[in-house]
Amino acid sequence: MKKVYIYKIFERFWHWAQALLILILMISGFEIHSSFNLLGYSTAVTIHDFAAWVFLVLICFAIFWHFTTGEWKQYIPTTKYLKAQFDYYVGGIFRGAPHPTKKLVYNKFNPLQRLIYLGLKILVIPIQVISGFLYLYFHYPIQGLELQSLEYVAIIHTFGAFLLLAFMIAHVYLTTTGYKPLSAIIAMITGWEEMSEEEIKERLVSDIETSILKSRAQLKSSEEYNELFDAAMSTAGKKAGITSLADSRFKDAIENSGAGYFFISKNGIYNDVNETWYKLYKYDFKDEIIGKHYRLSRTEEDFAELEAHVKTVLQTGQIINHGEVKRICKDGSVGYHTLTISPVYEESEIVGIEGFIIDTTSQLLAERELLKKQIRIDKELKKRKSKED
Amino acid sequence: MKRLKLLLIVFMFPVICVSQEEIEETASDSSAVLKLQNYVRMMDRDNTPPADHSTFPQLQAEFKNAHEVTQACISCHTGRVDEIMKTNHWLWERTEKLEGKGELPLGKKNILNNFCIGISGSEKTCTRCHIGYGWEDKSFDFSNKLNVDCLICHDNSGTYEKKRGGAGYPDESVDLNYVAQSVGKPSKINCGVCHFWGGGGNNVKHGDLEKALLDCNREVDVHMASEGENMSCVECHITDKHNIAGKLYALSSENKNRATCTHCHTNAPHADKLLNEHFIRVACQTCHISTYAKANATKLYWDWSTAGRLDEDGNPIHENDADGNHNYLSIKGTFVYDTDVIPEYYWFNGIANHHLITDTIDTIPVQMNSLSGSYLDKGKYQKTNKPSKIWPVKVHRGKQIFDPVQNKLIQPKLYAEMKGDSAYWKDFDWNKASQAGMNYLGLPYSGKYDFVKTEMYWPLNHMVSPKEKALSCKDCHSRNEGRLAQLNDFYLPGRDKNRFFDFIGIGLIVLAAFGAILHGSLRVFFRKNHHLK
Repeated sequence: MKKVYIYKIFERFWHWAQALLILILMISGFEIHSSFNLLGYSTAVTIHDFAAWVFLVLICFAIFWHFTTGEWKQYIPTTKYLKAQFDYYVGGIFRGAPHPTKKLVYNKFNPLQRLIYLGLKILVIPIQVISGFLYLYFHYPIQGLELQSLEYVAIIHTFGAFLLLAFMIAHVYLTTTGYKPLSAIIAMITGWEEMSEEEIKERLVSDIETSILKSRAQLKSSEEYNELFDAAMSTAGKKAGITSLADSRFKDAIENSGAGYFFISKNGIYNDVNETWYKLYKYDFKDEIIGKHYRLSRTEEDFAELEAHVKTVLQTGQIINHGEVKRICKDGSVGYHTLTISPVYEESEIVGIEGFIIDTTSQLLAERELLKKQIRIDKELKKRKSKED
Repeated sequence: MKRLKLLLIVFMFPVICVSQEEIEETASDSSAVLKLQNYVRMMDRDNTPPADHSTFPQLQAEFKNAHEVTQACISCHTGRVDEIMKTNHWLWERTEKLEGKGELPLGKKNILNNFCIGISGSEKTCTRCHIGYGWEDKSFDFSNKLNVDCLICHDNSGTYEKKRGGAGYPDESVDLNYVAQSVGKPSKINCGVCHFWGGGGNNVKHGDLEKALLDCNREVDVHMASEGENMSCVECHITDKHNIAGKLYALSSENKNRATCTHCHTNAPHADKLLNEHFIRVACQTCHISTYAKANATKLYWDWSTAGRLDEDGNPIHENDADGNHNYLSIKGTFVYDTDVIPEYYWFNGIANHHLITDTIDTIPVQMNSLSGSYLDKGKYQKTNKPSKIWPVKVHRGKQIFDPVQNKLIQPKLYAEMKGDSAYWKDFDWNKASQAGMNYLGLPYSGKYDFVKTEMYWPLNHMVSPKEKALSCKDCHSRNEGRLAQLNDFYLPGRDKNRFFDFIGIGLIVLAAFGAILHGSLRVFFRKNHHLK
């Protein structure tokens, strides 16, 4: 069983502080509603008013956090898998079926959670805050902005409290539907959640995709790009407790990650590639390339360079981060990508090489386009200068 | 990471705890020092009287009658008698504006109550409480300065007493020279002799004004308690040119010339903001007069219809209840007294209306006076410009004589010195008494009489409890047994709920809990089955 880091520190602090405050507000609030006698009425009112202010401060911090980190996107409602998630809770869960949606960094919540949490955030909590402060500061029909009666505000505020309490009960119960009954709660405390292998793989894929997106955004040169990618992958791997690139889980994670993966045996024959890889090479099926020599991936002049690198890796076990290279696709067209080459060991003997390719064609074309423009602009400037002279 | 989390927790908790402590601290601090304005403590005052009247030559010669005393007083205190003759203590009426009735002189001459009903025709006994001499009937001269009784308010000897049925003249036993030589500022008993015994006995009328206040403990009244400031009436009822501030809410319609708590206690006397806010809609009296008639019983019910039962010899009888209070008198009927009474609560904006003797009965029970106010009355359009507040009220309920043909209340003649003068208290004949009383007023009487239920409202102002005995939140903010259970024109937190939304809300909670239990048990059940397979 592996653990994955899901909830960041502020998120956890916010969650538990909110839980505590809602609990305090709930106990004091229902005492004000005369549902029971526990603290004494005036104490309940004092505590309720104070907790309301603390809650407001917390909400301000939480709003700031959601927008600065982009976490608000987690709450965009989706109907995709909504029914699947519902069906899971009413049926699949009893048969031991897997969760229909996985916890991913950018998809922490299942569609039902998204819907309910969004409802809380934009409906129930704001209504509670607004009605609460009206209750607190406009409780007498006197002058200026005034309520004719507390009645409607009180009914809304009380009903909101009932909704929150019902939510809390369901919410606490549903924490037990994770990988293990307590894994969701432990995750909310420590940040690390226990997950099945399958979930971890999916999570890795999304992590890497994210990293690649980030790398692209920071891209300056293709060399740097490669380094960033490697760094991203190793952080992603570390988070999931994977240290070796050869880890099978890691390979699976690379599947559909946006990076092409290849495994070439000692004799230079393609043993395995992933979908991204053969699509970048414009093949339609994996089998079209398996069993063929890597010679066909390069022009005559570039092949020598690649062969030299492969030889180095096979002989020394060194990992090579290669800059941009030109590839020959199935239809003879040309593409560009960066490349890493690592040795593949089998019982301490190198049996082949593997690595990732990341497409830079569009990047390169864009850069070239820019360059052309630059050159044109330079020429134009020179012309004007010479005319002026 | 863990360290950061710990830090946050450590940071948050003191914030919560400290602020709680602060609130408590300020609360106990302020209770130690009472916030006061416009008041000098007894210990900080010079209480020596400004003059020794026993040495004045004007008061040495023997007074032949009470008018001569007045003559002696006004020979030095020039102009003072003109002041007093403008006040309602002298006139027993004042011009008030009544809703729907316009401006009219309002007083004992033309309004009825549901105790001894009214003074008309019985002045000789009733005017024992008038600050004058000789008001026997309508012919009394209100412009004669020598009719003013200075002594009833200014006697400090404690020996001055007005005669029963004497139309305000002193008893023959009173040594007028001694009394005149020992005059001073009015003390509790000067006011109390009338205001405590109004309605024919101690504490009959007000419920919060009675002889126990002459010497009481803090539980009965914090202000007048002997062991405390021992305040006299005029400490609060501040007097300017013989006009005494404060007037009976039950009998004064316009909200003016009041004596108020805030005069000394300010508009924000509590350390707690929320309590001060309550003052916007809750009178001080509501929380601080927890019960009234704390020492001696007050009359809560008076049924005139049972009056007139005599013993075998034809003599009037009286019967007492277990506590020694009258519960039957032949001359007056049946009574209910009680002590330590919990007030009733009403909205009140300081404005009252009154049932005049000429008014037709339109509601039963007849509202002898009605307090104006409601939750929605914010006072904007009222003269007071103050919102209605919740007030504690003594409600005196009764049954009294009315004319079912005229559909009006009757003023019977009650008092006479002799039998055969149509007075009910001597002859026990309602018909004759009614005829005599209405004739006296020049009003028609059909010859038929019956008894009708009446209610009279007496907002409470005295017998303020020590703060420990003031009401607490739960006295009103509670579901069923709260003191404001009857005041239903507004939403009161803790008392009110919306049954529909509470039902739905509780339903949701039950559903969530039940759903969780059911879902959870099904999961456990199916997992076991899986394992077995």
